[in-house]
Amino acid sequence: MISKQSITVAKWEFLRFFKWKQQLISYLIMLGVMGAVFAWSYFVDEGRQQYRIAVPAGLAIESTEQFQFQQPTISFAEQLQQLQADETWHAVLEPTSEQVIIHTKAGKKWQQQLQTVLQEYYRQQYAAEQGWTEAQLTKLQQPVRLEMRFLDDNYKGKDRPEKLIALAVLFMLLVGLSTAFGQLLMSITGEKQQRVTEQLYAIVTPQQWIDGKVLGHSLSALKAMFTTTLMMLLGFVVGVLIFANKPLQLDWLNFGVLAWLLPFALLGVVLCATFMAAIAASIDDPNTSGKGAVMMITWLPLLFTYLVIDSPTGWAMTLLSWLPVTSFAAMPVRLAMVELPWWQPALSLLLLVATLYWLRRVTGRIFLRGMQMYGKEPSWGDIMRWALSNKAD
Amino acid sequence: MQITVNDIQKSYATVQAVQGVSFQIRPGEIFALLGPNGAGKSSIIRMLVGMTRPDSGSISVQHGDEVFDHVPRRYLGYLPEDRGLYIDKSVEKNLRYLAQLHGLSATETEQQLEHWLAVFELTDRRKEELKQLSKGNQQKVQLIAAVIHRPALVILDEPFSGLDPINQEKVVQFLQRLRAEGMTVILSAHQMAMVEKLADHMLLMAKGKAVLAGTLSEIRTQAQPQPEVLIETERALTPAELELWLPDLDWQLTAPQRLTLKLSGSGQLSDCLQRLLPHCPLRAVTMQNPDLHQLYLNAMSQHQQQEPAV
Repeated sequence: MISKQSITVAKWEFLRFFKWKQQLISYLIMLGVMGAVFAWSYFVDEGRQQYRIAVPAGLAIESTEQFQFQQPTISFAEQLQQLQADETWHAVLEPTSEQVIIHTKAGKKWQQQLQTVLQEYYRQQYAAEQGWTEAQLTKLQQPVRLEMRFLDDNYKGKDRPEKLIALAVLFMLLVGLSTAFGQLLMSITGEKQQRVTEQLYAIVTPQQWIDGKVLGHSLSALKAMFTTTLMMLLGFVVGVLIFANKPLQLDWLNFGVLAWLLPFALLGVVLCATFMAAIAASIDDPNTSGKGAVMMITWLPLLFTYLVIDSPTGWAMTLLSWLPVTSFAAMPVRLAMVELPWWQPALSLLLLVATLYWLRRVTGRIFLRGMQMYGKEPSWGDIMRWALSNKAD
Repeated sequence: MQITVNDIQKSYATVQAVQGVSFQIRPGEIFALLGPNGAGKSSIIRMLVGMTRPDSGSISVQHGDEVFDHVPRRYLGYLPEDRGLYIDKSVEKNLRYLAQLHGLSATETEQQLEHWLAVFELTDRRKEELKQLSKGNQQKVQLIAAVIHRPALVILDEPFSGLDPINQEKVVQFLQRLRAEGMTVILSAHQMAMVEKLADHMLLMAKGKAVLAGTLSEIRTQAQPQPEVLIETERALTPAELELWLPDLDWQLTAPQRLTLKLSGSGQLSDCLQRLLPHCPLRAVTMQNPDLHQLYLNAMSQHQQQEPAV
């Protein structure tokens, strides 16, 4: 189905936008930015510092790792003076009959944590005064435990790690489609502006040409998706191992779901790139044309799927997962969150392949004529007429 | 490769680009399409290449035992009127890509690259990006792109445009080399001096119609049915003297000692000379062979006079 010429075009298109030095530098910059974010959040984390809190005599609150509660012998006014003058105290407490006033110099994030500790202390104090047991206090805080039970055995639950995979897939598809959008627009309109089209038309058929272009830019999109995933995983690993100082657990990765995600993502990118190529071929000047925005229609399946991600068994998600133009985004999400019989994703994939084949032919027809038009843009009527014609090379 | 074009017509919207044009191109010859802008040359070329189809009439391309309705891509080398390559890529990257698309192996590509870059004196500049080259050198790269796969037929739309006289001469040599190697060449051009040196047959077009066709001498006969002779005399002549001596001939005194004579039959020149010689000695007698440029202008002028006013 793919000719030798198409492979040559694909290789050319892929390498045309692949400058490995610049790519390496951009990845290093991305890693540097991620490292800086982690480092910054680590160094400004107020939770790791210790705070001295002056409390009145008789307030027998136990110190924690973060807060040291001390009962100074000096007067309250002197405590406030010290708070104002130096760093002897980070806060001074002033309990009254109705409230506890926390005196500090200025608002900081750790003060919320202090409030939580104090609320817990006073809650226990109050329970003791009332003669309540710990169990009674717990019951009061949570009178009844609510638990969701799903009768549909296929539903995996919305808070499972698979949802994270589904969201990651949507994000990666967005990265891939954005890459394909930019490159296809530049490549196709650039060739028209550089007048390369007639030269190439005399060598390859428009169908071979567009097949190669779509393949090359789909590969670029997949490369962008792959490298972004790699960067994010690297960031995740570094974050967990170094900054959070926790063991790395990857048991949430579901390789069965991943095996389905890949063909859907791959074919989805190719389908969208094919549509984008058809539109780009009808653009004369990307700076003045309004048709470039139409290429962004390919992002809609991602948005539609995201909006119903919390109802993976609903009719909307089911419909999206079967429609060939949206299934590449919806079926992976549905697969991640619902147990499906194997034939459902397989049939959906088959429909996607058939649609891709049909769209490829339509794009070939539009490309044939669009690439030969200089100086003016075809109308939507022209494009429809070309799409419905039967001449592709 | 032999091409027969029979009564083709092509219209775009309200413009009738080609109107009933017929011609034949023989294997291994250089065929020139001549005419002013908008004459229909590029429309004919696009139909030959297969980018468009004639509205009526037929094109027959015969190569060996095969017959096609346009030139198949595998036999075609093409320099389009709207031309360009990837200006941000080097000379060799551009040419390698096109050679690979033509199906050349890496070894064949390298051989052809070496050969043609040397022919056009671009070997030292092969690593440079196209945008760093002058227009003339970019044009040379385009020419190499058209022939790097050694096609059976080369179609060159305006191959001389953008070139200085020295490089135009190089293109002439290049085209002669292609013919010597057995390739059939179709070219369209405005540079009549170049075409005159090269073309075996030519077709002169105006407003979508064929005006003149044939070899240079055939075109000369068609465009100038009355040959002209320039007679230079030793002494000045007057119109009155010529009225007396040559009353029945078509002459014109362009200077006191220069007389132009239009010949309408055989023996007319010797008759004229016999009548003049007794009265004044002659310095020189020269047959006037107008160049292609002049023939072209004459034909265009005649065509415009024949065209009905709109």
